[in-house]
Amino acid sequence: MTALRAWLSDPNPASRRQARLGQAWLAWQRIRRNRLAMAGLVIVGLLLLVAILAPLIAPHDPLAQNLSRRLLPPGTPGNLLGTDDFGRDIFSRIIHGARITLYIIALVAVTAPVLGLLIGTVAGYFGGWIDAALMRLTDIFLAFPRLILALALVAVLGPGIENAVLAIALTAWPPYARVARAETLTVRSSDYIAAIRLQGASAPRIIAGHVVPMCLPSVVIRVTLDMAGVILIAAGLGFLGLGVLPPTPEWGLMISSGRKYLFEQWWVATMPGLAIFIVSLGFNLLGDGLRDVLDPRSAAR
Amino acid sequence: MTALIEIENLTVAFRSKGREVRAVEGVSLSVEARESHGLVGESGSGKSTILRAICGMAPVTGGSIRIGGRPVPTPRGRAFSTEVQMVFQDPYASLHPRHTIDRTLSEPLAIHGLPGADARVVQALTEVGLPPAFRFRYPHQLSGGQRQRVAIARALMLKPKILLLDEPTSALDASVQAEVLNLLNRLRAEQGLTFLMVSHDLAVIDHMCDRIMVLQHGRSVEEITRDDLAHARMTTAYARSLFDASADRMLDGTTEPTS
Amino acid sequence: MNLLEVKNLRVTFATETGQVQAVRGVSFSLGHERLGIVGESGSGKTMTGRAVLRLVRPPGRIEADAMTFDGRDILHAPEREMRALRGKRIGMVMQDPKYSLNPVMTVGRQLTEGLRLRDGLGRADAAAKAIAALEAVQIRDPRRVMDAYPHELSGGMGQRVMIAMMLIPEPDLLIADEPTSALDVTVQAEVLSILDGLVRDRGMGLIFISHDLRLVARFCDRVLVMHKGLVVEEIEAAHLLEARHPYTRGLLNCLPRIGGPRGPLPVLDRAGI
Repeated sequence: MTALRAWLSDPNPASRRQARLGQAWLAWQRIRRNRLAMAGLVIVGLLLLVAILAPLIAPHDPLAQNLSRRLLPPGTPGNLLGTDDFGRDIFSRIIHGARITLYIIALVAVTAPVLGLLIGTVAGYFGGWIDAALMRLTDIFLAFPRLILALALVAVLGPGIENAVLAIALTAWPPYARVARAETLTVRSSDYIAAIRLQGASAPRIIAGHVVPMCLPSVVIRVTLDMAGVILIAAGLGFLGLGVLPPTPEWGLMISSGRKYLFEQWWVATMPGLAIFIVSLGFNLLGDGLRDVLDPRSAAR
Repeated sequence: MTALIEIENLTVAFRSKGREVRAVEGVSLSVEARESHGLVGESGSGKSTILRAICGMAPVTGGSIRIGGRPVPTPRGRAFSTEVQMVFQDPYASLHPRHTIDRTLSEPLAIHGLPGADARVVQALTEVGLPPAFRFRYPHQLSGGQRQRVAIARALMLKPKILLLDEPTSALDASVQAEVLNLLNRLRAEQGLTFLMVSHDLAVIDHMCDRIMVLQHGRSVEEITRDDLAHARMTTAYARSLFDASADRMLDGTTEPTS
Repeated sequence: MNLLEVKNLRVTFATETGQVQAVRGVSFSLGHERLGIVGESGSGKTMTGRAVLRLVRPPGRIEADAMTFDGRDILHAPEREMRALRGKRIGMVMQDPKYSLNPVMTVGRQLTEGLRLRDGLGRADAAAKAIAALEAVQIRDPRRVMDAYPHELSGGMGQRVMIAMMLIPEPDLLIADEPTSALDVTVQAEVLSILDGLVRDRGMGLIFISHDLRLVARFCDRVLVMHKGLVVEEIEAAHLLEARHPYTRGLLNCLPRIGGPRGPLPVLDRAGI
């Protein structure tokens, strides 16, 4: 353990891999000292664990109906968080719902930021008419409220989880493009970009190898902070019946179906709502912590 | 026999807030191979802009630039980068903060498809007086002088003939400045380099350069040799006022302790 | 009695890797004179200047055996008292005017704000006083400068505005941290002569922090040479160029000189100090 630590904190790394791991270890040391970020990390880690082990943890089949045991309150033996209007176990449904939430988050997280980074860095690096064209396109997307645009897209594409993800990704990229472009504009005029240009590097090489690494931290922070919003939009689409189709145990859909019983059987809608709340909070805390660790401005010295 | 760098009637003009700013106007100069030529002037004199114009980082709106008798192409292209390289003023801004020294030095080789990166990087570090153990460090783990050494090593990776030096030591401490200037002089002698150096410090320029051009407001005021400078044989009033302001940098301005 | 008395000043920073001492026991006294503090980056010269104003941010900590200004204890004085001293009786000019002036306020407003708030002057009186201050730092067209925003000024102009701003309350002590190193040599000479005039005419005390030995030798009365948080030598400025301490000598020798020999410059022997 101490040997590993010494290896990681060696001021003179012997290989590229050691240098990179050493930097990662330093970042980890910094984030470990941030208690709120660690709390966020624990929540997100738990979400991951629950999603992976869902069939093992869940006491019941999330789809199994039992009409004789419908709308039981939380704390009922065998149904920790109660049952819904079809007698399905809410606890099991929330646990399986974590898989769907994670699936949506993962898909959005690999599509929207990549698209945004690409458009933002290209626009910022080249400037001129390319910048104008790409940024007006971004403005068009930004001009619509996100949920409305996602709704319209799903209405065209038809309901379903893949279409919901596509709609969310298509509405989520413009802010990343803006962040990436702003960052690119400051990086573009720096001496190290001038130096690599003077070495004869091509534009794709400069953008991918030199500009993107500088934009990545701010985009990653934005993505983490936006994840809460993505969960809420996915839930909103589910709530409106335009996202995941029933009987899939998706949290938004569960809130929607519990709405009818909100006054008498409050737990049906509240329990998935709490799950959304906790996971969103986790991502927000993590995003805030990452900002402190990754942001080149705050971590300058 | 033509000079290695020939600049004729160079004009650089920008548009800024709707009006034209002429950063450089009608400057001509020629630098022979293996010569070290200096450009001095105060801020706004256009001295750095001339270097940037040579590299294609500032728009040439008039006149011509020839390297080795051939006009430089626009964009400058890969062949140009094996002939001319630049060292920037601020070593804290000229190295990519998220790249290791190794990556910074090996990238030029990768761009030009040159083999043997491992050996060349180690050799380059040794040449500029850095221990090879620094190879996988990040810039923030180096001091200002060490960073500037890395920047010099990077500029020499492609074995250029011409090095453009833009105030390479003005961000460094005096003791580090001496080390970097010595390094540059040694490399020039060893590799037969041609220097075009910009500085606001007459003493630095005098130490490094054979011929010196004095610039003011984007125009060339006077071109003098090192010898003329040492004996204060300048003809224009502006060059003299610069010289007078640097009087404390004269050789006899400091006397050795009498013991 | 001396204007400023500092005994065994220490500034420590608690960092991830432990305690770092930026200033390790500096003592000096200052009368109505020009005291230069020279040293390379990391020598603690800037921290010494800021510590006198107690402007060291946490995790930095200031300790000293004694620190008095005009007979008053400024080591233990409450923050409220320090705020009253700063600006009014002790001024500070920083290296780069770009970061010291508020970019969204005109120069005139920044100059008169203190006068109107603190001294309760009327608009016209305050403006008159500000214009007088700008004239004192040799600004030829003070009315135009009053209406300008900081970005519309050149570096030398901005630095002069900073000095004017510090001089309006007529401080007894001015701490100038590299006030001229961002300026061209010809402008530098002007700014120095302004500072010089103020010390002579108003009897102000001046702490002049710089990395430039030759400048300090020419401009100051007395010089402290700092290295790694310690004063290695205290010497009359007139004799600085004949200093005998190996560190000071090393710093002087490694400077290139006009008309000097072309061979390698002597390099500071860091191991020997």
